[in-house]
Parts: sequence; structure tokens; C-alpha cells
Amino acid sequence: MFVTTDVQGGRRVRRVTVMQGQVYVGTGEPEMLTTVLGSCIACCLYDPVAQVGGMNHFLLAEPSPGSGTIADRNYGVYLMELLINQMMTRGGVKSRMKAHVYGGANMHSGMARIGDANALFARGFLRDEGIALVREDTGGESARRIEFDPVLGRTRCRVIEAAAAPAAKPVVRPRQVGGEVELF
Amino acid sequence: MSDTIHVLTVDDSASMRALLRAALTSRGYMVTQAEDGVAALEWLSDSAEEIDVIVTDINMPRMDGFGLIEALRSQVRFRDCPILVLSTESSDEKKARARSAGATGWIVKPFDADKLDTALRRVTH
Repeated sequence: MFVTTDVQGGRRVRRVTVMQGQVYVGTGEPEMLTTVLGSCIACCLYDPVAQVGGMNHFLLAEPSPGSGTIADRNYGVYLMELLINQMMTRGGVKSRMKAHVYGGANMHSGMARIGDANALFARGFLRDEGIALVREDTGGESARRIEFDPVLGRTRCRVIEAAAAPAAKPVVRPRQVGGEVELF
Repeated sequence: MSDTIHVLTVDDSASMRALLRAALTSRGYMVTQAEDGVAALEWLSDSAEEIDVIVTDINMPRMDGFGLIEALRSQVRFRDCPILVLSTESSDEKKARARSAGATGWIVKPFDADKLDTALRRVTH
């Protein structure tokens, strides 16, 4: 997570860059969440009543069934839940949440259409969770730069040169990736 | 108790329920699923089936995991039933609250199916 501070119209705005494998939910202070996407997906959730919003940035949809792979922070299935839960702890209510989904480009012709699979997952996840998808800009072969104001729920999506997109690769993770058990 | 362990999982995420179901059924568990604390209590109230262990999320609409644990521990029928929390949260404060409510243990998401399996077998035997 990179954080910088801009002064816009006389007010200080924190710019938070949400990197692959990360989730960030707004603090309620003036902030702008940003990210650059190729085949990855960023989902922006916003609860207009609580005025709380957040963004995630995931590489892949979910592990193949039976693969034995843990659905960790490389995967949308985990990062979507993390985003929803963090929204809820800040007062968000799941049934009120609205979603914007961006990214999912197929950056390299001839290779597996990871971007399409990611976008398909995001749509399905939101449908299954009963979260309204109000804006989507996915697919194609171009990278995108996203800006999201988590207080106002406004997004801006711009197409940029493919070379500007970060290389999509799994997040390096420690051996103990999750699932720690503590019996009381 | 029969050899098959009957697990009630409580999670508002349909995707997480699907992951849990796949992980548990492939390891021989019988799985019943509820989408939140209220649905879980309703099912438990209406069903005559024995539940060997309950695995519950914390952040859920209508009734969260803490409320569910407290409601279950207030019933004689579930006073000794193992209840494991499965949550993306891992703060000591939340763990202490779960423990105080009567939880048996805490597992951090993303879950490792093998570790979950080990924990389930340990608390049910």
C-alpha cells in the first residue's frame, strides 16, 4: 500500500494505492484510492448510507476445486470477503452495498483469458452475495487506471498503455499463509 | 455418535460456503450450512438431527457469530457442542470476546482445509 498526500482545492487528500493482493477501506477522511489493472480485477464497494467505501485488487478468481490450494490473498474469493467484512466493521451493511468492477483485460493474445475468467467470477460472486453491480468496465486488451473516492462512492476509470500495467504474478507469501488454529 | 462428523457451517458468503462444503465433504464430513446466526438457530430449532460441531463466521447480517455463540450456549442442548469461529479477523480482542461467549477455538481465514480438518477431529473426539 502506497500512501501520498495531495492538496486539492485547498484540502488535503490521501492517495492510497491498492496493490495486488490488498484490500483498503476508507477511513472517512478525504481519500482517493487508486490502482492500475491489467488482467487483475479491482472491486470497489460503497454503502451510500454509511458513506463507507473500499477497494480490493485480486490476481485470480478462486483455486481450482480439489487443487489443495488455499484461497489466499491472490484470490478474489478471499479478497472479496475481506473487503465486505472490513466494510461491515466500518458500519457498512451488505444489502446496501453497490459494486463497481474494473480490469479483467486479456493482455496477451494467445494466452489463457485470465481477465475474462476474473470478470466472470466477480459478476458471479456479487450476484450470489446479493450485491448490486452498478458499473463495470472489464475485458479488452488495455490496462486501466482506477480512482475511487470511498466517501462519495465515485469512480473514474481510464484506459492507459498496456505497458503501464504491473506484471500480474502471485503474491509472495510466507509458509504459514493462513488457517492458523487456536483452541481455547 | 456415528463415524461421520456432522458439521454445521454458518457463513453469509455463498462463495465461502461453497469452499467449505467442497473441503469438508471431500474429507468425509456431513455438512449442513446456514447463511447467518438466525438461519442457524432456526434450523437447529426445527431439526432433530445431531450436530457434532459448529463452524461460524463472525461478521454476518441479522445475527453475528458472537450472538450465535451466546444463543447456543444458553441452551442446554448446545452447552457442550464444540463451536469454532472461522473468520478473516484475528485480533486478540475479538478472540477474547469469542472465548468469553463460549467458543471452543478460532481459525483464521483463509482457511487451510487440512488444518481445519485436524481441528474438527480434535474437538469432536
